[in-house]
Amino acid sequence: MLKMNHLSKVYRTEVVETYALRDFNIDVKEGEFVAVTGPSGSGKTTFLTIAGLLETFSGGEYHLDGIEVSQLNDNARSKIRNEKIGFIFQAFNLIPDLNVYDNIEVPLRYRGMKGAERKQRIMDSLERVGLSSRAKHYPAELSGGQQQRVAIARALAGSPRLLLADEPTGNLDTQMARGVLELIEDIHRDGATIVMVTHDPELAARAQRNVHIIDGQVVDLSEEPRFHAHAGEAAQGQTL
Amino acid sequence: MFAYYLQLGLRSLRRNPALTALMVIAIGFGVAASMTTYAVFRAVSGDPIPWKSDQLFVPQIDSWGPAQGRQAGDLPDALSYTDAMALMRAHVGHRQTAIYPVGLSLIPPGQTAKPIAAHGYATYTDFFSMFDVPFQYGSSWPVSDDTGRGNAVVITRKLNQRLFGGADSVGKVINLDGSDYRVSGVIRDWNPKPRFFDVANGSGFGGEADFYMPFTRAIDLQIGTGGNNNCTKVAAAGWDGWLHSSCVWIAYWVELPTAAAVTRYRNYLKGYAADQRKSGRFDWTPAVRLSDVPQWLNLQHVVPPETRVSMLISLGFLVVCLVNTIGLLLAKFMRRAPEIGVRRALGASRREIYKQFLLEAAAVGLVGGVLGLLLTGVGMLGVGLVFEADVARLAHMNLSLVMLTVLVAVVATLLAALYPTWRAASVQPAWQLKSN
Amino acid sequence: MQIKPILTALRHHKAGTVLIAVQIALTLAIVCNALFIIHQRVTQLSQPSGLDEAHLIRIQNQWVGKADDKAYGSLMATDLATLRKLPGVADAYATNSVPLSGGGWSMSLRLKADQSAPSAQTAIYFSDDHTLSTLGLKLVAGRNFRADDIRPMSAKEDLLHPAVIIVTRALADKLFPTSRAVGQTVYLANHLSTIIGVVERMQTPWVGMSWGSAASTLVPFRLLTGGTNYVIRTQPGQPDRVRRSAPDALFAQNRMRVIPDQHGVETFRQIRADAYASDRGMAILMGVICVVLLAITAAGIVGLTSFWVGQRRKQIGVRRALGATRGDILSYFLTENLLIGMGGVLLGIALAIGLNLWMVTRFEMQHLSLWYVLAGAVALLLLGQGAVLAPALRASRVSPVEATRSV
Repeated sequence: MLKMNHLSKVYRTEVVETYALRDFNIDVKEGEFVAVTGPSGSGKTTFLTIAGLLETFSGGEYHLDGIEVSQLNDNARSKIRNEKIGFIFQAFNLIPDLNVYDNIEVPLRYRGMKGAERKQRIMDSLERVGLSSRAKHYPAELSGGQQQRVAIARALAGSPRLLLADEPTGNLDTQMARGVLELIEDIHRDGATIVMVTHDPELAARAQRNVHIIDGQVVDLSEEPRFHAHAGEAAQGQTL
Repeated sequence: MFAYYLQLGLRSLRRNPALTALMVIAIGFGVAASMTTYAVFRAVSGDPIPWKSDQLFVPQIDSWGPAQGRQAGDLPDALSYTDAMALMRAHVGHRQTAIYPVGLSLIPPGQTAKPIAAHGYATYTDFFSMFDVPFQYGSSWPVSDDTGRGNAVVITRKLNQRLFGGADSVGKVINLDGSDYRVSGVIRDWNPKPRFFDVANGSGFGGEADFYMPFTRAIDLQIGTGGNNNCTKVAAAGWDGWLHSSCVWIAYWVELPTAAAVTRYRNYLKGYAADQRKSGRFDWTPAVRLSDVPQWLNLQHVVPPETRVSMLISLGFLVVCLVNTIGLLLAKFMRRAPEIGVRRALGASRREIYKQFLLEAAAVGLVGGVLGLLLTGVGMLGVGLVFEADVARLAHMNLSLVMLTVLVAVVATLLAALYPTWRAASVQPAWQLKSN
Repeated sequence: MQIKPILTALRHHKAGTVLIAVQIALTLAIVCNALFIIHQRVTQLSQPSGLDEAHLIRIQNQWVGKADDKAYGSLMATDLATLRKLPGVADAYATNSVPLSGGGWSMSLRLKADQSAPSAQTAIYFSDDHTLSTLGLKLVAGRNFRADDIRPMSAKEDLLHPAVIIVTRALADKLFPTSRAVGQTVYLANHLSTIIGVVERMQTPWVGMSWGSAASTLVPFRLLTGGTNYVIRTQPGQPDRVRRSAPDALFAQNRMRVIPDQHGVETFRQIRADAYASDRGMAILMGVICVVLLAITAAGIVGLTSFWVGQRRKQIGVRRALGATRGDILSYFLTENLLIGMGGVLLGIALAIGLNLWMVTRFEMQHLSLWYVLAGAVALLLLGQGAVLAPALRASRVSPVEATRSV
């Protein structure tokens, strides 16, 4: 589903070149639930934005669902984002000017879907996250957990094959976080591939497999004894 | 998607009513100022006889010579009687006429009516066919009246209405300055703007004439010109002295339907000028010039400088309003960078972002255009304060001006929106979405 | 104030900075030129005509039918006698033209007969011994015409060669800058005339002539033609009454005449208003444009600065948390605006002068006075400071707590 070979990403300023990712390799199979962990600044988020085609990369290859994406133009990349990928962000990223219904409608609009089908899908996904009664509310009128569930509903509405989550519970308290995580696992059971970036070992433990990034490279945790138990468990997961 | 983006645009505009109002007002005022001054400019700079303006020509001859301290190329803007008659006799053009304005008093039939002032032109009969003057009754006078100094007269619909109640008056007699004239034709409303054949007198935008009479008859009756008479030397005494002086006062027009005819006429003029020197009338070879209608109007500065200056200043004003709009749109669009990031992540291509934001700008332009339309209407009421009454009367709202006003507003706003929209479409979604 | 950090910060807002600067520059260029046009037009239309305008009425008279020139002479004499007897009339005379009326005669003057270039151009007014008292002209040297100076002149039969003339001071100074004009002789066309008097001022019939608006000559002739102008001076408070009674008296005296419906009977106030209609109009138009332009530019500055303040709330909060006072924040934004304004004004000065130079060649405008540009520049800088004050005050009230808030 998602395969990166020797991928690199360089940020250039007038003064310095910084490698955000270097000789980066990862292979996520269809239907997998992978957690990407690593310390702050390790390149986790850069990996996720590249994986989500939000950013281009400097070198290497990236195959998404069998397509080499480096040569695609903006239109094609937008189409893939729209049809195959769902995003969940730490900051929810709902559009404050739009109510819940209109927020979920955004990706469906870009898909050119007819009104009746849009409505059906929006109501279905709202039901799935348990917010059917909040369709006319604005984001500011919802709690953090509710906002994140709206964001998940927005990601779900397009039936994405790949769900990319960036610290989805980072801004939530424990109870809300649990609810959100259960939703994500639910989506996984329905067959979607899930890649979740987190620095929370407990969260990472819920994934089938953990990938650890340090300084822009995937590291094999079996050769990194410095890491604690949870990381070790994750490393075991990788061998499955 | 159009309806969707329109809805989004209107929602966004409602969110910052002050900013939106500021943009709309700026565009409205900018467009209104430009359109009001443009309407006046359009009114005075139009081609009065578009289907024929490249076939009608004015010859000029430098009958004053180089001693007068004028600049090269600055020829007298009328002909002397001597030259006008020589050109008429030569008859080199397809049609030709000498013209001068006359002011006479007209005594209406009946004992009690007060005399009225009547303004007209002394012309040759070719005048009417050259300028495609439309007749309501009758026709122009026959050529025999030109040669035989006949007492024919062509009157306008306006005068016919006043004297004969609008009935067919061909053959009836009117009295001008004590002489009787027989009506040979009545013309329909015809008052080209500008009155290209007589721009040397007045603004060129005055009211319609009352009558046209044979040039030869007017000379016979010693009717002086009602327009400008420019002399470099004082004429010899008496009517004949004036006729044969260097005073210029006659407008002269010739119709040359083909390029070959134009070339032939130009050569004839040069030959005529050379002959005048040879014959000893001038001690210089007079420069000559042949101008068609647009060239002549340009040469005579028919468009008043006020019109151009005020249009220029108004356009500058519009540009400032647009720069203002660029800044405000930029602020408005970039404030929504996070939203743009989300939309990009959810599958909006750059093209979709362009569509969304340009449509929003177009909505601003449209509302600005409507405001501009109202203000242009107010401006039209005010043009009488700024421009000469003759000119101001011509400026008016019509469908084309309405459409142009709205079009200019929308196009100008879209132009102003290009840069802000480009910035909006260049928003890097990854930067906006990384967890703060 | 720390200018360097402001400049560094501005580099991150290149587009906004450039837009404000360009707007200021264009506004300066347009406002300077517009104010200059206003100044010129107002100067033009506030020139005194030299006449006692409040009490003057002009009547345009056209005789009907063909009379010989001698007959015109007696008709005019009768008319003038009728008018002078009319209640409310102080004096009257007949002439070809009056100042500001837009139509009249002009001729060139020479000091020597064989001179190739003329010494001056002048308007010619046909006058008699009543002209000075009717128009209220002030004689500053020499004498008025006497009744026996006045001769009839037929346009078709006689030539203009006056033995004596009266000139305006403007014309006298031009012809004889160093000596007394009275008693001197000049060639009017080909004939020698003696200057017997100088009047303080009398404008020509034309507005905005290149050869001056006050170079006029009075010639002692009664012009015998079918059309003439009667000029009447009324007694104080009587213009409205005479305006109605004078044409009636003329028609009662002789019906065979035309006094046009439009402009036939006019007070001098109307003549002046018509003559300067386009000048007054241009001044109004330019004034309106200046006011709206300045308002829009100020509003634009308010709008963009408000946006910047909104964008930088967090940054401002951090500064406040690190010890910046409200005054520091306020002066930061004021200084920032001043820097942008100065950039815009420098560009604007160049634009204003460029625009003026172009209009000088294209529309025969005059050169812009530098004082206008400088005054405009200062005004725009002040406008910018005024416009930025409200958003800057809002910025200064940002609480240091903002530093700790995310987004």
